[in-house]
Amino acid sequence: MTDPRVTGAARYAEDFELPGMLHARIARSPYPHARVLRVEAPPGCIALTPDDVRDLGRYGCQIQDSTVLAVDRVRFVGDPVAAVAAETEREAEEAVVLVDADYEELPAVLDAVEAAQPGAPLVHSEHEVSGGRAAYFALRPQPGTNVCHRFSIRHGDLDSGFAEADVVVEETFRTAAAHHAHMEPHACVARWQGDALEVWTGTQTPFNLREDLARVFSLPEEQIRVVCPPMGGSFGAKTFLRSEAIAAALARKAGRPVKLVLPRSEEWVTLNRHAATIELRLGARADGRLVAKEVSCYADTGAYADCGPGVAQKMGFAAPGPYRIPNVRVDSYCVYTNLPPNGAFRGYGQMQTAWASERAMDLLAEQLGLDPLELRLRNVLRDGDRYCTGETMHDVHFAECLEAAAEAIGWHHDRRGKGLSVILKGMQTPSRAAVAIEAEDDGAYVLRCATTEMGQGARGALTLLAAELLDVEPARIRFPDPDTAVVPYDTRTTSSRSTYMMGRALEVAAVDLKGSGGRRGYGEIVDEGGLDPDTGQGVASTHWHQGAAAAEVRLDGETGKLDVVRLHASIYAGRVVDRPAAELQTEGSMIMGLGTALYEEVVYRDGQVANPNLSDYPIPSFADLPERLTCDLIEREGAEIHGLGETALPPVPPAIGNALASLGVSPTDLPMTPESVVST
Amino acid sequence: MPCEAPDWLAPETLEEALALRAEREDATVVAGGTFVGILVNQRLLAPTAFLSLGGIPGLNGIEGGEELRLGPMATHRAVELSPVVREGWPALADTFAVVASPRVRNQATVGGVLADADYASDPPAMLVALGARAVVRSVRGEREVPVEDLIVGYYETSLAPDELIVEVRVPGGRHRAIYRKFRSRSHEDRPCVGVAACRRDGGLRVAVGAVAGRPQYFPELCRTGSDPTEVGTAYAEAIDPIADLGGSSEYRRRVIAVEVRRALEELE
Amino acid sequence: MKLALRVNGEALEVEARADESVLDVLRRELGLLSVRETCGIGVCGACTVLVDGAPMSGCLLLAPLAMGKELTTVEGLGDDHPVQRAFAEARGFQCGYCTPGMVLTAASLLAEQPRPSEKEVRIAMAGNLCRCGSYVKIIDAVLGAADQKEDAWTS
Repeated sequence: MTDPRVTGAARYAEDFELPGMLHARIARSPYPHARVLRVEAPPGCIALTPDDVRDLGRYGCQIQDSTVLAVDRVRFVGDPVAAVAAETEREAEEAVVLVDADYEELPAVLDAVEAAQPGAPLVHSEHEVSGGRAAYFALRPQPGTNVCHRFSIRHGDLDSGFAEADVVVEETFRTAAAHHAHMEPHACVARWQGDALEVWTGTQTPFNLREDLARVFSLPEEQIRVVCPPMGGSFGAKTFLRSEAIAAALARKAGRPVKLVLPRSEEWVTLNRHAATIELRLGARADGRLVAKEVSCYADTGAYADCGPGVAQKMGFAAPGPYRIPNVRVDSYCVYTNLPPNGAFRGYGQMQTAWASERAMDLLAEQLGLDPLELRLRNVLRDGDRYCTGETMHDVHFAECLEAAAEAIGWHHDRRGKGLSVILKGMQTPSRAAVAIEAEDDGAYVLRCATTEMGQGARGALTLLAAELLDVEPARIRFPDPDTAVVPYDTRTTSSRSTYMMGRALEVAAVDLKGSGGRRGYGEIVDEGGLDPDTGQGVASTHWHQGAAAAEVRLDGETGKLDVVRLHASIYAGRVVDRPAAELQTEGSMIMGLGTALYEEVVYRDGQVANPNLSDYPIPSFADLPERLTCDLIEREGAEIHGLGETALPPVPPAIGNALASLGVSPTDLPMTPESVVST
Repeated sequence: MPCEAPDWLAPETLEEALALRAEREDATVVAGGTFVGILVNQRLLAPTAFLSLGGIPGLNGIEGGEELRLGPMATHRAVELSPVVREGWPALADTFAVVASPRVRNQATVGGVLADADYASDPPAMLVALGARAVVRSVRGEREVPVEDLIVGYYETSLAPDELIVEVRVPGGRHRAIYRKFRSRSHEDRPCVGVAACRRDGGLRVAVGAVAGRPQYFPELCRTGSDPTEVGTAYAEAIDPIADLGGSSEYRRRVIAVEVRRALEELE
Repeated sequence: MKLALRVNGEALEVEARADESVLDVLRRELGLLSVRETCGIGVCGACTVLVDGAPMSGCLLLAPLAMGKELTTVEGLGDDHPVQRAFAEARGFQCGYCTPGMVLTAASLLAEQPRPSEKEVRIAMAGNLCRCGSYVKIIDAVLGAADQKEDAWTS
């Protein structure tokens, strides 16, 4: 029996159907910022207009700034203003273009740094912090501005630190917005059973979604059921509440189930990756010892915050990089603009600051006349060192990752055309995971587990772990699609946390099962932690994801075209559970990093996405692979499982940028398109 | 109410097709159907009828000799793999071989790529450089038109509404030609600049595609024995390139100069 | 209009509009869900269908153009085609959404070129996108399938 993915038997959220269901389409704002004067639905079809949703609850995983449809005001080109449901997709397509609306345009703000300045037009007049579980850290919205969260680190004394510096590097770095481009679109089906709502949807965050739906429809969470079929890729796009409330509101109005699958072009106005501007100052002594670092990050969260505050926070606490720096000041701002919303994207803010941080290290190495590898090795954190958040680093292997990456590309023979980088990434902290194991009569075990599958292989790894713990063949473990009616609470399937956290919960559950008669076991793991948002002190992460990358490039100086000849990543895995899956996730992250480095960019023209298709927004193909792409996963006897879903993405762009810099072109902005290279 | 399904007209002879073409101005011609397929799938085109040429025998021939004669329904893939083309017109085979993906090349045709006049297509520039002509027919008669006069602008040809391309003829004889496809983003990206160059009997033809509505060919700039750098610079100055997501006008100008020079250096 | 098609070895008649695509017909009328739509413009390969053995984009193929042709989807390869086995052995997939297109393209490549080089595989498959980035292991799968007996998979 072969894997359903190769026989064509695989089924995803987009395949789910219910008898009698209608198909929905969304009508969207053509303006980046406007008052909504009138919305009229075409006759003869089930439609949702702002009046239908005006009394529904506001939602938003960290800032409660969203409504089911834009009510009174639209805030980005693509903001949903109406929706229709019809018997077939074709009929829905034909009906939605007949939605008629009038607007009064308002001044729009389309750049995060400009939007953060006092006096900029406001995207939202207030910032109501969400009471939900996804707002797991103290938020600092700045009233009267477009800044909906500000995270700061204050460590040491910055001025005296810079006073000690023999060399100071000062630069501004920029990273473009990018698009997840998951192969399967967003897809959901909503159905009401009396007052209870059921939603089948591709999502990484079933419990957070359930919480926001409860808020929207003013229902107890127990009356909402979220079922999660596998996704054809997600990379952060299918998180929190996306279009499920629209489908549910239509279903309630129609008295029939409603299916909503987003047309591909609409994906680019659903969720993208935060563009960022990072201003950085780095000081060091002549011997290479880092003494001071000041970073300001502006994360463009678009018109609705989604988990932007969390992204800005992670961007902020990763900004110092995996180094001992006695004096650190970071301010990271999550800023509203009148652009489509930005949210979770593989790497979660850490790609952006890794770009700035690791490029700055090479600028510093150049000024100091030091080997970039040597400069890093002199400063990387080792076990027992304290990070600028005050936490003690444990089980860290930054030096080893760096040296392995350098070795892999022959750094010591010849450095020309080669670049290195090393990064740290936090894992969602605090977090909770719980799992139940039930014995079936046929000798198999069922896992009641909320971890959702998007291709990352968590289901496979957890199956292997459970089989090992229960001492059975993996074929005896069943792992049904997560259903919030049946599975215990889990924070969410993000942050590369699931194999580790659910793995620990499984250990507890297996012990419980064996100790209580062998029919049922339950395990729950809670990790505490968190950071003070004003000082950045506390515990950012239970443990750290760590990796280094090395790149060798050739440059066509006349056209600016970069050829990545060799790319290697050395990632700390701790303990690898499912080796092929671990390699696939690492290689996949590297390839996504390649796209970010060289050409992926959401282009806006007056607030409208100019490239909402896979021809105008190219992603890497087989023919874009470096001549050699390799990785190694570092393990240690008895070590904890370290998540691998994202770690190899952030170090790739700066490794390539540093390789380019070694050839005389010093990039500060991503992507490094040929045109940007010749203009640098 | 969903709009009415279009008619599918499937003539079995060329005469029938030409008669239908004259009669049904509302019918969209379908050769391989890749371009029409995109427009219809993306709801950019909702024709009341399709006029499919796929049922007409004898339109997909590839014949060598003094001239290469390509039927309008010959697929890109057939041209790419044809021993006749590979032998006598290798650069043309190479050009068809770098179009998009094998899926597109299995479906798209010689006639279709000319009739679509997509500015970023590869084959038109090469056909201009080789001095190819399209044979065009209607119920009113037949005429020949050089490819550089067939494609007149963005997705615009000089075809009359009742005309069909029935053959493409490429001069034979000794020649050396090359096609260079410059992509500024991924390998699968549409070209930013495409340069086709051909030396024949002491003459030179250079055509630059993907930079304007039609392949850019300047006979006066292709003087025999011209230095590759001079020709490159002259072409860059003569062309007013578009700006799009693949590059600005200024960047394209830079690349035109470099790629034209490199094409001519390869031909030496 | 009524369309007489041959799909996975079976002769069928389906009702479809002339402006529907082969992708629409295969999914909606015939329940062949392995053929999927990602980009809708023929660049991603998720909708790959073999037409008389040659890969084409189902989303760009107007349904009437398939008349008189032999269409093959991954459901038509059976459960144990050597290319499928090779993909499973090499673990040449993650989410699996692009995998049917990959398998069909690889099968058609190997039927034409039994022993491709790695470079030839990269170029031949470049029109099939995988956002999960499983390319390295997919190449292993295709080269692995090539190592099996040549006549095992030409059909």
